[in-house]
Amino acid sequence: MAELELLTPSTAEEALAALRAGAEGEVAVLAGGTDLLADLEEERSRARRLVSLRRLPWRTLDWVGASLTIGSTLPLRDLELDPGVRARLPGLYAAVHAVGSVPLRHRATLGGNLGRSAPASDLIPVLLALDAEVELLGPGGVRRLPVDRFVRASRVTAIAPGELIRSVRIPEARPSAFLWQRVRPANDISQLAVAVALAPSDRRWRVAVGGIPPRATLLAEAAEALGAGRPSAESVRRAGESAARGIRIVADRRASEEYRRRLVGTLLARAVASALTSPEAPP
Amino acid sequence: MTGRSVRLTVNGRAATVEGVPGGERLLDTLRWRLGLKGTKEGCRTGGCGACTVLVDGASTLSCLTLTHEVDGSTLTTVEAVADDPVGRAVRDAFEREGALQCGYCTPGFVMALTGLLKERGRSAPVDELLDGLQGNLCRCTGYAAIVRAVRAVAKEGSA
Repeated sequence: MAELELLTPSTAEEALAALRAGAEGEVAVLAGGTDLLADLEEERSRARRLVSLRRLPWRTLDWVGASLTIGSTLPLRDLELDPGVRARLPGLYAAVHAVGSVPLRHRATLGGNLGRSAPASDLIPVLLALDAEVELLGPGGVRRLPVDRFVRASRVTAIAPGELIRSVRIPEARPSAFLWQRVRPANDISQLAVAVALAPSDRRWRVAVGGIPPRATLLAEAAEALGAGRPSAESVRRAGESAARGIRIVADRRASEEYRRRLVGTLLARAVASALTSPEAPP
Repeated sequence: MTGRSVRLTVNGRAATVEGVPGGERLLDTLRWRLGLKGTKEGCRTGGCGACTVLVDGASTLSCLTLTHEVDGSTLTTVEAVADDPVGRAVRDAFEREGALQCGYCTPGFVMALTGLLKERGRSAPVDELLDGLQGNLCRCTGYAAIVRAVRAVAKEGSA
C-alpha cells in the first residue's frame, strides 16, 4: 500500500480546511475506519490523504424530549448501550446491534456508515423508517437533508465536496423494528433487511427495505397498505405484497431474486409484529 | 514521507514508536515494531477478530485501526492480559476448559471476552457475553470448548 498522509484536525474549521486542501478523489474522511481501511487494504480506495475526525467534539448523544441527535463520530457501541435507544428506538437498537461485532462497533460510527453508504448498510433502512435527517457542515454553513435525499446510490451520497456529516437527528422515539436475513447470523452482511416504524403523532407507518443494491428504499405504498396504527393481518399481507412489487429486486452473490422476493413479506410481517410489542405502541 | 513518532502505553509500559507512517495499522506496529506477536493477523479486514486488543479498555480490531489514531492511548495485548484479575480469570478458564485447538484465534477471543467483562461488568449475563463474541472466528470450529470457557467465566462472575 502506498504512503498515506493522516491529518488530525481539532476543530471543525481545521477539518473543513484540510478537506479543501486535497485534490478530489485523493482525500477521504476517516471516521471509525472500519470500512475505509478495509477498502484501502484491498486497494478499492485511492485515497492518499485521510482527514481524521477523531479529535472533533462530535461524539455526542442528546435526547431532547423524544428527539435524539447523534453526533456523527459517536461510536456505534455507545449508541447501542444507551438505555434510551434500547427502550425508545428498538429498531435503531436492533440495526446498530446487527453491525459487525463489538470490537468493530467500538470504532464504527453512524456518520461513517452514512458517508460510505454501502448498499448493504443495516443502518440506512432504519434511519429511513425513523425519518432521520442528516446535518452537513460545509464551507457555506450548515444544511439538513432527509436520509432519503442524502443517500443516492451504492456509495453515492448528496454530500458536496468539502462537506462533513456533523450529526443525525431522529425526530422522535417511535415503536420500530429492524430484521435481517443472512447466510450466517454472525458477522455477515444482510441478504435482505426490513425496517419499520410507527409515528405516534399521525399513527402512520414508514417501511424501508435494505440489503438490495444499489441502495435502501423507502416504500410508501407498503406503508400506506398498513393503514393507521395497529394493522389487521390482511393489511400486513397486502403490505408485504406491495413491498415485493415496489422495489427492484436483484440477484447478487448473496441471494437470488426469487429468495429475496419471498423474504420481503415475511420480514415485513415479523417487523410489524415486533414493533407493536414496544411499550409505546398503540393498543 | 518518513512518518512520525507515536506515544503509547503498552501493557503498562510507556513506549514511543518512531517513524510510523500514516497508513500503518496498529496490528503491524504491535507485531513488527514492538515484537508483540501474540496479537494475530487473520483477515486484515475486520472479519475474524484474531487481532483484537484493548485500546483504553475497549476491545478494538487492531487491523482496522491506524496507529496514529491511537496516539496517547493505553493498550493491552494478550501478553499482559493476565496482569489484571478479569483477564486472568478469562485466561485461566480457557486453559482449564482446553478452549483452543490450533490456538491462532485464542488471543482474539481472550481479549474480546476480557473487554466485554470490563465494559459490562464481571456479572454480565452469559448470553450477552456469547453474543458479544460473534465477531471472533475459530477456523478449527472448536467452539464447544470456547463456549464452555465463557460459561465458566460467567458462572464465576455471578457467584
